[in-house]
Amino acid sequence: MLPKFDVLTDEQINKIHKNSMKILKEIGIEFSYDPVIEIFKKHGQRVEGHRVFLEPDFVEEMVEKAPAQFTLHARNPEHNLVCGDGNTIYMPGYGAPFIYDAEGGKRDATMADYDNFVKLAGASKNIHMTGGTVVEPTDVPDDIRHLKMAYSHITNSDKCFMGSSSGYEFARDSIEMTAILHGGLDVIKEKPALICLINSVTPLKYDDRMLGGLMAYAETGQPMVIASLVMAGSTGPATMAGALSLQNAEVLAGITLAQCINPGTPVVYGSTSTASDMSTGSLSIGNPENALFASASAQLSRFYGVPCRGGGGLSDAKTVDAQAGYESMMVLFAASTTGVNFVLHTAGILQYYMAMSYEKFMVDDEIAGMVLRYLKGFDCDSDEKMAFDVIKTVGPGGHFLTQKHTRKNFKTEFFRPALSDRQSFDAWAKDGLDTNQRAKARWQEVLANYTAPELDADVKAKIEAFIEKRTKELIK
Amino acid sequence: MSTIFDEIKDAIVDGDEDLAVELAERVIAEKVDPVQAVQLGFIGGIEEVGKAWTNGEAFLPDVMMAADAMKAGMDVLEEVLAAGEGDGGYEDKGKIVLGTVEGDIHDIGKNIVGALLTSAGFKVYDIGIDQKAEEFVAKADEVGAKIIAASALLTTTMKSQKTLVEYLNDNNLRDKYKIIIGGGPTSAKWGEDIGADGWAETADEAVELCKQLLA
Ligand code: B12
Repeated sequence: MLPKFDVLTDEQINKIHKNSMKILKEIGIEFSYDPVIEIFKKHGQRVEGHRVFLEPDFVEEMVEKAPAQFTLHARNPEHNLVCGDGNTIYMPGYGAPFIYDAEGGKRDATMADYDNFVKLAGASKNIHMTGGTVVEPTDVPDDIRHLKMAYSHITNSDKCFMGSSSGYEFARDSIEMTAILHGGLDVIKEKPALICLINSVTPLKYDDRMLGGLMAYAETGQPMVIASLVMAGSTGPATMAGALSLQNAEVLAGITLAQCINPGTPVVYGSTSTASDMSTGSLSIGNPENALFASASAQLSRFYGVPCRGGGGLSDAKTVDAQAGYESMMVLFAASTTGVNFVLHTAGILQYYMAMSYEKFMVDDEIAGMVLRYLKGFDCDSDEKMAFDVIKTVGPGGHFLTQKHTRKNFKTEFFRPALSDRQSFDAWAKDGLDTNQRAKARWQEVLANYTAPELDADVKAKIEAFIEKRTKELIK
Repeated sequence: MSTIFDEIKDAIVDGDEDLAVELAERVIAEKVDPVQAVQLGFIGGIEEVGKAWTNGEAFLPDVMMAADAMKAGMDVLEEVLAAGEGDGGYEDKGKIVLGTVEGDIHDIGKNIVGALLTSAGFKVYDIGIDQKAEEFVAKADEVGAKIIAASALLTTTMKSQKTLVEYLNDNNLRDKYKIIIGGGPTSAKWGEDIGADGWAETADEAVELCKQLLA
């Protein structure tokens, strides 16, 4: 595996750390949820109303308790994932309410789209888990969306997935469903199987709903990403160092809380900080600042000894065009090569998280494959790989195409594109398809050929019974 | 020599809220014509910033700080203007109550809409985030607003925009106000579906929309 490169010097890391600690101690951070205030009081932290002032020693002591890595368990153990330890985990985009199609059209996302993206993620060898809220299924009432979404992940794939963090109750529902899938709450307490996304409200706040979710996951020992999205210039300072310090303070406060509730509970340090577009105020994600924030966050995570989330196949483009490609490659490449472990939003996102696109998903899948290959770097471990003998056999002026060594090695050494066109001009010109059109044909083909891995009938029935019971309770 | 009107204009262009207030106080103390102070000073300044923004020369902080400075200065003059002092009298382009709907705490977009409406000469009453239909209407009633503008950023809170329209219908107030909506996941179609009077995708389109509705 490639060594991860740094974007901050040790001195810069220290300055950011100190600045964040000063923010937490002197400015404090607001938690709207009363039970959380009680927790901090119990731990001897200064509290004024809902604002908590955290002591640097206390924060450091608590963050220390978080594990450097953990295993997330899938229904099929072949898909278990180690989060941390230099690994990179890819998954689909999260939370987009719209679908943009290959013809430039826009529509509301539905449950059918949801199932499709889970299947595409299930089918991909570059996408390691099926994610969560892969689109907002706007045709399902929001009281029961979380149930339907979990069901889609459970039945359409056997990879790891994410659960709801929208309040304590919904979070508990996702955890229960995962417990049924794995044979009980005790089993997943031992072997964590569900992860969720907890967001701070920048600047310097956490709201009730997210804190309820945080408590549910922490109590049951399920991992969570604790993330901050600073929109530098609007919800945060317009300097990179200031915005990073603010983000860092928020994430550390969230991790501290999780460790107070359940010491040792697995957490991921999350960042989606980025620059605002200063003409319109709109969020902008396909930019070098976002790439830098992701890389700096990976480094801060190493400093604190926890895994990191950030980056993705991120773009502000509205369709699968050159902009969609170059922006996504920049942010995904930077995040991956500097050591981000958990890459939410790897595939499918267009227009600053507003839309998912099937075509973009296939493009990002290709980018992910290329980056994963890059991350493998060079294998210099054997004589076979150093290839002295074959170089000697061929000697000056020959060629390697007919060597056994070539036939044996190229498949594992080279990346093989699934989408990129490497044909001659004439061969390409016969159909003249651009990336967007090729991607469209490709996802349709993948979906048509996909068969979901079988799920034990008994387990399936139990999960369906749970959904039915909860639906009755939730829809009055 | 520069007049106080030029000074006000510069204060607005610089987004200097304190200076704008100080100058407005001087307008009153020195019995300068308040309408001219507004037209040549405050509006003159904001129009200059607005133009620069449209041309891509100025950025959002310039516009928003200018709008804040204008609002602060105009608040000082409010009383004398309301009393009809000054040449020809001054009236704002219309009063607008703006807020983010119940259950939703996203406010950046709303704030931008507010700033641009202010800089276009509307009087904006921002009631903040996570606001119930009742609260929008109570404020509109209190200040005599013509437009109620509601922002929603979540598919799950868009229905609160619908609730707002229904609330007005149920209380026989629908004809009293124009309702406009906006925010990331909303659309023109959603606006039509719930019976709003208008939808805009961006803040500058929101300004055009309000101009049309009050024309
Ligand atoms: C910043 C942000 C946050 C911040 C908000 C901070 C703040 N002070 O506002 C925080 C972190 C708190 C947050 C929280 C959440 N967020 Co959020 N958030 C965003 C984000 C990234 C940017 C929003 C923004 O400010 N955009 C910039 C402004 C300028 O744009 P705008 O708001 O759209 O406004 C423009 C127009 O829409 C229009 N407009 C706006 N209002 C109005 C009103 C009228 C009347 C008119 C005419 C026009 C108009 O004019 C504006 C200027 O041009 C969006 C993604 C996105 N790209 O929009 C997600 C997003 C909206 N959030 C989302 C979600 C899911 C959430 C959370 C539930 C959890 C989470 N995953 O983070 C919570 C919910 C909290 C709650 N109860 O409201 C989803 C919503 C998906 C959906 N289902 O609808 C999005 C789309 C991201 C995603 N893909 O997951 N979020």
